[in-house]
Amino acid sequence: MPDRPTALELLEAVRGFLETEVAKGATDPRLRFRALVAANALSIAGRELIADEASSSAEARLLRELLGEAPSGAPPAQEALALSSELCRRIRAGTAPRDTPGAIRRIVEGKLAAASPRYLERKR
Amino acid sequence: MSEELRQSLEARLPALLGGPVQISKLSRLAGGASMEAWALEVRAPSGPFSLVLRRAAGGRIYQDALSLEHEHALVAEAHRSGVKVPRPYGFLPDLLGHDAFLMDRLRGETVGRRIVRLPELARARAALPAQMAEELARIHALDPARLPFLPGTGAGSPARRAIEGLVAQLDSVGEPHPAIELGIGWLRENLRDTGPAAVVHGDFRIGNLVVGPDGLVGVLDWEFARVGDALEDVAWPLVKAWRFGVDRLRLGGISDERAMIDRYVEITGRKVDPRDLHAYELLGNVRWAVGSLQQAQRHLRGEEKSVELAILGRLACEVEHEILQLLEAP
Repeated sequence: MPDRPTALELLEAVRGFLETEVAKGATDPRLRFRALVAANALSIAGRELIADEASSSAEARLLRELLGEAPSGAPPAQEALALSSELCRRIRAGTAPRDTPGAIRRIVEGKLAAASPRYLERKR
Repeated sequence: MSEELRQSLEARLPALLGGPVQISKLSRLAGGASMEAWALEVRAPSGPFSLVLRRAAGGRIYQDALSLEHEHALVAEAHRSGVKVPRPYGFLPDLLGHDAFLMDRLRGETVGRRIVRLPELARARAALPAQMAEELARIHALDPARLPFLPGTGAGSPARRAIEGLVAQLDSVGEPHPAIELGIGWLRENLRDTGPAAVVHGDFRIGNLVVGPDGLVGVLDWEFARVGDALEDVAWPLVKAWRFGVDRLRLGGISDERAMIDRYVEITGRKVDPRDLHAYELLGNVRWAVGSLQQAQRHLRGEEKSVELAILGRLACEVEHEILQLLEAP
């Protein structure tokens, strides 16, 4: 599960920027037009994204295995959120499973692959 | 906006600068998230002034940020005590609805990406580690009793207070972040008080320092000052996020940390145990991870709509990765 803002929320933030700041402030009508087109492109990408649940599924599976939980049947993003909250609770209580650091590392690397792929390359 | 502000300032500056003033230039600088900054050129009977006006804008970034009135009082006290800060000229309550204060405009570079790279700042980079140590020593020698408005002045362990403050901030974000939890769990076991509570700047790093060809010109951005453990300030400029891409130079992308630590120990007589420094570097990373999430929340909650704040929510995983690295290499 990615942190917030989610991909959709990021797209929405940039779309708002293009529509309100770039398009409204543009004196060049062509720039204004292209900004609106770009905003629309982000709307399309946003709609496609809603279908893409692969990364949440992977995270939910990792957390299920770590915590020894059965699949909850909830949508992957929701399941990952619930399991991640449970893991946080156990870490605070001092009852996290032994493999916790390794699992968290894989989850964080998954987040980096989406949010900042160059960060991991820089490490190497 | 700027014409209204000019008129308001021309009415109020004579009291601060002594006599009638004329503002020959007023322009908005790229501001921080919660603060506006304006550059002014002012003619007054006592001479021409190049000034910066800091003025409140949206909400606060952290719960513990100082009000502008207190920030002004702190900068004034630091200035009296010989810390390199812009000379403050006075607090202006309710300047067109927002508090503000006025200070000298220092000449130099503040943008981290440039400070770590510009060839003409090579001499500055060589001088900065010792100069940073000297300013930190001066800041940590400030008398907390003269600054009773600073957070953290109560009794109790500054290390505990730092951790519990971050837990409360993380809880206010309301998202699960296991990597940050792991860091907090480790800090609960390993972070200890390393000396008497001191005035700490709270955001002392490349990016908040004005740098000229000979090095450090002034220390800016005092709104996160508090009473805490001095090592919070010593370790903060080592946090990877403040290396501006030059990761191998652990002190802000300009140097290894040795020269700064040695000079700091020499002046203050404090001992800096490498294990404590490591623990406080981890604390700094947890602080920045939580801070990034909080800033993204400002966008998500509509307190301040901004793509720049929003993106921090996704870059927090870089800081989480660094927390995991530090946990593996104690």
